Amino acid sequence: MAERQEAPAARAALERLIELAGVSKVYDSGHVAVRALADIDLQIESGEYVAIMGPSGSGKSTLMHILGCLDYPTSGSYFLRGKEVSQYGGKRLAAVRCREVGFVFQQFNLLPRLTAARNVELPLLYAGASAERRREVVADTLAKVGLSDRGHHRPNELSGGEVQRVAIARALANDPAIILADEPTGNLDSKSGDELMQLLDGLYEMGRTLVLVTHDDNVARHAKRVITLRDGRLV
Amino acid sequence: MNFLTLFARAVASMRYNKTRSFLTTLGIIIGVTTIIAIVALLKGLDRTIDQEFSSLGTKTIYVQKMELQLGLHRHRDFDEISKRADLTVEDAAAISKLPTVRAAVPNIHRDLGTLKRGIYEADECTLTGIGEGGDLTGNWVVSGGRFITRYDQRHRNTVCVIGSYVADNLFAPGEEPLNQKLDVDGHRYVVVGVLEEKGASFGHPQDNQIFIPVETYVKYYSLPEGRASVFRGIRIEVLPDEGVTVETAKANVEELLRRRRGLRYYEDNDFGLNTQESMLSSLNTIRSVLWLVMVGVAGISLLVGGIGIMNIMLVSVAERTREIGIRKAVGASEFDVLAQFLSEAVALSSVGGVVGIVLGLAAAAFVSAVTPLQAAAPWWTVVLGVGFSATVGIIFGIYPARKASGLNPIEAIRYE
Repeated sequence: MAERQEAPAARAALERLIELAGVSKVYDSGHVAVRALADIDLQIESGEYVAIMGPSGSGKSTLMHILGCLDYPTSGSYFLRGKEVSQYGGKRLAAVRCREVGFVFQQFNLLPRLTAARNVELPLLYAGASAERRREVVADTLAKVGLSDRGHHRPNELSGGEVQRVAIARALANDPAIILADEPTGNLDSKSGDELMQLLDGLYEMGRTLVLVTHDDNVARHAKRVITLRDGRLV
Repeated sequence: MNFLTLFARAVASMRYNKTRSFLTTLGIIIGVTTIIAIVALLKGLDRTIDQEFSSLGTKTIYVQKMELQLGLHRHRDFDEISKRADLTVEDAAAISKLPTVRAAVPNIHRDLGTLKRGIYEADECTLTGIGEGGDLTGNWVVSGGRFITRYDQRHRNTVCVIGSYVADNLFAPGEEPLNQKLDVDGHRYVVVGVLEEKGASFGHPQDNQIFIPVETYVKYYSLPEGRASVFRGIRIEVLPDEGVTVETAKANVEELLRRRRGLRYYEDNDFGLNTQESMLSSLNTIRSVLWLVMVGVAGISLLVGGIGIMNIMLVSVAERTREIGIRKAVGASEFDVLAQFLSEAVALSSVGGVVGIVLGLAAAAFVSAVTPLQAAAPWWTVVLGVGFSATVGIIFGIYPARKASGLNPIEAIRYE
């Protein structure tokens, strides 16, 4: 596992983090073939703060799934840190998701049976971290999102804003190359939403690479670059 | 994720749904309890039987009206056996004259019920008419005095040799039974010998016996006339001479008895020559049947238990589709998910196995406490129980686990 680097000053000089070359995604349901993404070329440098916008059905989610290594492009190549992960098998792709990608979902998607701390621990568990290191990192990341004292609570005992912050802590646990947030404020009231965006802004300040998927201009405004999708194409 | 963490998480997941987990493991619990308890009982039975047989004379041939083949008689056989001629004291005398025979001892007995002597009582005593050498054939050790002799037989002496239980209960502590008078069934005997304690055989106490010369017995009680029943009449205990094998002596006795009973060459024996070996062999048949039944019962209950686990694991996979999606999104590989669900199945079945072992051992301990059967589970049954249950968990857990690991994370995460 990559060592955790905290120094914000060490923002890598525009390392090419993500490169999509001619990526298309076609959903073939047998009778009808739906083209969700068409020939996308996209570069994201390390330390960028990008918002992907577009109306529903524009392919935002599909793009995020591909960026997050949850799905394969039908054609084209996806390079993450210079490695063509679109060629990876399931096992290596799972490892990439584990170490290089941190997901934040609109639906939070914490495991309801597990406490906040256990949820944050999950990616560490799958990365094979020792118990000692897991304890350390969980405490660390929970502190980073301001929930040090909530670690032993189950998600249903937390407010929506707190749950989403736990989700961010989980996304940060393995110190991933990129944080992918899909409508992170979509299920939050505006106050919690603002707090959450501040937290994400703070992560950007610390040198993290963030990609937001949203249709909310107020959210997109936080990003330094906005990419708009329409009908599976970049606009 | 190492094995220990995996298992700890699986147990935690089980605890989340306690009732369901308990009901799921019930099948395995019952299966393993059955295995442990039955193995313990069978082992106890084996041990008890071995002890019983060692209390019998190992070389003694028991000549009886019927062949002892436990449990293998048909009703028709009993009819035939009951019509056979009884064995007689004269038969015993004739056998004892064979050069290959050291002693041929007639033995006949009757229940006396409670025996009283003054203020003392002994329950369930047995009066046994016996000949000289009965101590050798019956493995008795005389602790004081002497056993019944040929002289006692010839003169129909009213003497008796008493078992330790009779001696302890009919005489005061410290009182010497030897040469005391003992009234049994209206006849007065002189105690000429006391026997060492021997313990029970096949559930029957043995130290409650009062031995008198068989001729004295016949004089007082007379033998049942002619063709009586399967169980009446005398039994002759034959001890081969030194250096003579049981087989040789048996063949000689057989030849003699066939001649005395006028059997033609084409007729089967109408008497039984029972040895420890022949009884053991029929017992072994029963033992192997019991073991087969056990394997069947255990196999079926484990199969049912395993199906129960598979069923619940499939339900669990369906219920937790979204959880599986999330786990995959945060980095779980197919193997991780497979390992998780497989370990949950194994945890369910092994916990059931452990509970089953404890219950099975408890059942064995209970049986040992309240019955004479010394039921004890050997150490390997514990290994067997754990091994069986874990194997069941793996076999029946693999299908649900594969189903879980094969889920598409994007679809799974959207699942409501």
